[in-house]
Amino acid sequence: MGVEAHSGPIGLVNNPEPGQGVIAPDQGFFDGLNGELNDKGFLVTSTEELFQWARTGSLWWMTFGLACCAVEMIHVNMPRYDMERFGAAPRASPRQSDVMIVAGTLCNKMAPALRKVYDQMSEPKYVISMGSCANGGGYYHYSYSVVRGCDRVVPVDIYVPGCPPTAEALLYGVMQLQRKIRRAGSIER
Amino acid sequence: MTDTPVTDSYVEKEQAVDREVDPAIEKILHATDAAHPTEGDVAIQNYTINFGPQHPAAHGVLRLVMELNGEIVERIDPHVGLLHRGTEKLIEYKTYAQAIPYFDRLDYCSPACMEHTFVLAIEKLLDLEVPIRAQYLRVFFAELTRISNHMLNLGSHVMDVGAMTPNLWMFEIREDCYGFLERATGARMHHNYFRPGGVHQDVPLKLLTDIADWLDTRLPRLFEDAISLVADNRIFKQRNVDIATVSREDAIKWGFSGPMIRAAGIPWDLRKSQPYDVYAKMDFDVPVGTRGDCYDRFMVRVEEVRQSARIMKQCLAEMPEGPIASLDRKVVPPKRAEMKRSMEALIHHFKLYTEGYHVPAGEVYVATESPKGEFGVYLVSDGSNKPYRCKIRPTAFSHLQAMDFMSRGHMLADTTAILGAMDIVFGECDR
Amino acid sequence: MRAPAPAWAAQLNDATVDAARAAIGGALLDAVEIAGEVQLHVTRDGLVAALIALRDTPGLEYQQLMEIAGVDYPDRAERFEIVYCLLSLTRNHRLHVHVGATEDTPVPSVTDIWPVAGWLEREVYDMYGVLFSGNRDLRRILTDYGFRGHPFRKDFPLTGFVELRYSEEQKRVVYEPVKLAQDFRTFDFESPWEGAQYVLPGDEKAKLPEAKGAPTPATATEVQKAGAAQTPKQDAPAPSQPYAKKDTTSTAETGAGRAETDAVPKPADPDVVPSKGGGQNQ
Repeated sequence: MGVEAHSGPIGLVNNPEPGQGVIAPDQGFFDGLNGELNDKGFLVTSTEELFQWARTGSLWWMTFGLACCAVEMIHVNMPRYDMERFGAAPRASPRQSDVMIVAGTLCNKMAPALRKVYDQMSEPKYVISMGSCANGGGYYHYSYSVVRGCDRVVPVDIYVPGCPPTAEALLYGVMQLQRKIRRAGSIER
Repeated sequence: MTDTPVTDSYVEKEQAVDREVDPAIEKILHATDAAHPTEGDVAIQNYTINFGPQHPAAHGVLRLVMELNGEIVERIDPHVGLLHRGTEKLIEYKTYAQAIPYFDRLDYCSPACMEHTFVLAIEKLLDLEVPIRAQYLRVFFAELTRISNHMLNLGSHVMDVGAMTPNLWMFEIREDCYGFLERATGARMHHNYFRPGGVHQDVPLKLLTDIADWLDTRLPRLFEDAISLVADNRIFKQRNVDIATVSREDAIKWGFSGPMIRAAGIPWDLRKSQPYDVYAKMDFDVPVGTRGDCYDRFMVRVEEVRQSARIMKQCLAEMPEGPIASLDRKVVPPKRAEMKRSMEALIHHFKLYTEGYHVPAGEVYVATESPKGEFGVYLVSDGSNKPYRCKIRPTAFSHLQAMDFMSRGHMLADTTAILGAMDIVFGECDR
Repeated sequence: MRAPAPAWAAQLNDATVDAARAAIGGALLDAVEIAGEVQLHVTRDGLVAALIALRDTPGLEYQQLMEIAGVDYPDRAERFEIVYCLLSLTRNHRLHVHVGATEDTPVPSVTDIWPVAGWLEREVYDMYGVLFSGNRDLRRILTDYGFRGHPFRKDFPLTGFVELRYSEEQKRVVYEPVKLAQDFRTFDFESPWEGAQYVLPGDEKAKLPEAKGAPTPATATEVQKAGAAQTPKQDAPAPSQPYAKKDTTSTAETGAGRAETDAVPKPADPDVVPSKGGGQNQ
């Protein structure tokens, strides 16, 4: 019994059919963990597991609201969706944030600022591209002043489609990023 | 701080401090200038800071180049265009029907009101009659959008000056609005619901009754609770009263509109003075400010929310049954069910969704009262199926331009209050 | 008017035109009413005086300048038209004032009448390159720092000339010539029966003589000339033509792709590890 089961939703593998309702937490796992902790007073795990756990559990995101999607990005933080329950809190400063959500149309005039903010973020850093415009220009693809996808300027980890994506979609995107971090499996990214 | 009377502003305090300076010291201070500092003299020079383009209080992508004297703003040069997407150029390359969604994305806090202007401009050129139910539906959803817009603005304004809780509650109202709009139009934000000749589809009765319940119970409870936290709050007043006072003359000269001109004391509301759709039948009051400061702007918007709710209730009471779009098949496409049965409907459908309708040549300037002010469209048609020129008159352009003279002499921290009270959205400002 | 457009005092249109004629005088070139809205066309030199008259004359009283719109008509001698949209709060009336301009003829600035004109003029300058004499702050406003050209001119392409990306070598964003993965699809909706300007694919054959011996109304010399003109070279269709003719001689040039050289089944890709199942939820 170790803590490696952190690296995936518990019990999901044993539950092959989707849509079967609420997945009950694995009581045996928690009992085992609790017993181990009571018995020895500490837990043994690999540093990699620990780092992944820490990274996925506190994805502080940079509020890079550019256009329409920014409104949905605010909504996902507000009481109805409450993204902070996933440990993802908004930060206004790039130095303190782990993930940048590029929410909206990236225009030529704004692109140097976006890159500067990205460069100021500390490693490991991730980028979520939110909405059609950030993904590839979208409705404004053929405009003379729009960057056709923010991946021309920063490397993107997760693309969230939609115009704008609903708050749920962004929430799912953040969860996908957590999954990706768990899978990446190295200390140096 | 606690002993300060609520109407006191930073500027007055600053001036008061200046007056108390010993005349002898003042003489020295004024005699020296930056080029010849004397020994032991503290030479404070003006310095320039960059506010934005990435700043949470900038409400988007605004870059303010500020010249500060200590903490007092001397000059502000707003740099806009960081969200310039070339909308007007793109519209020239799209048919009229394809261009409507661009309007949703202009002011993304009040999409339906943006569509409203464009649709009215097209109808004016086409001289197209709109069924009465469609007009009611448009007014109804435009007012719902106005509530939703003011929720965002009031909430963020409050947050910019330091209060958190009201914003959380107001966003709950916004979520409700989004829910209703999604049920009516299929999209939370970008509806593309208003079409030339009417609206895209009818609404179910259950939706209207649900909104009526919401207007009676949930909206007043959440909204009045949230506002009661700030409206009489001393800190909120200290941050807003007498900040960026604008006189009536200045408001006219600088092309103000909407809550900004009303806060300055001019009862000018396009819904009242130049009614479109069924606003002429609506009974509502136009709130007017007395001092023209940030607090007045805030309270004008607060009252507008209540008036919007009043208009919506009248719409619900008076809305007749009937068609929701013009029956002119050369402009309004037939419904899908009709298309499956009638060959003519199929042809119309095909023509309208490929080529679109041709709009007679002409030039109109149509302006409506968007939540932020006068939002206008100057539409030039050359008789083809695409606009020859579609100039959008953003509300934010004139307001943001006035930022310089409004902030002059105020503290750096006041600029966020001024900006918050302006209600600026860059999708619309930069286009 | 049947449309539910904003109902301002349009019944004052005629009176307004008369009053404006009297107030502006010789500078007024034309006054027309289109779609229920009054347009005054004034000379460039008389613009400032005309706008002051419109603002200050009792009975006109256009206190607010709401908008300055530029329009580009490349066919006209003065290709740009600057439209000032005025609003009278007291008379509840709207009016446009039109003035023509070219690149080289500056329009007098109205910033001294309405300070709001400052940014509006900057925008027209940015988008069309029309100069405003007297505007003390005539910088670009919306386009990027260092932008070249004036994007709203009709001869400026929609996608512009340059696009932007981050260069890993130079560690900064760089501009490069535009390279689109897929061209912007424009369709014209002119009926081919009603004066289409281009030649439909296949139509070029109509001008040619038919097979030898077939009945043709053309005379023999015409046939020979047409044949001589046609055989050696055929004008390649312009790339922007929507119905560009495509000669496909082999399957590789069509969308079908290249034919398989041998019919052996593909060997298993050693890099692909068969998944254990469970999909992305693993």
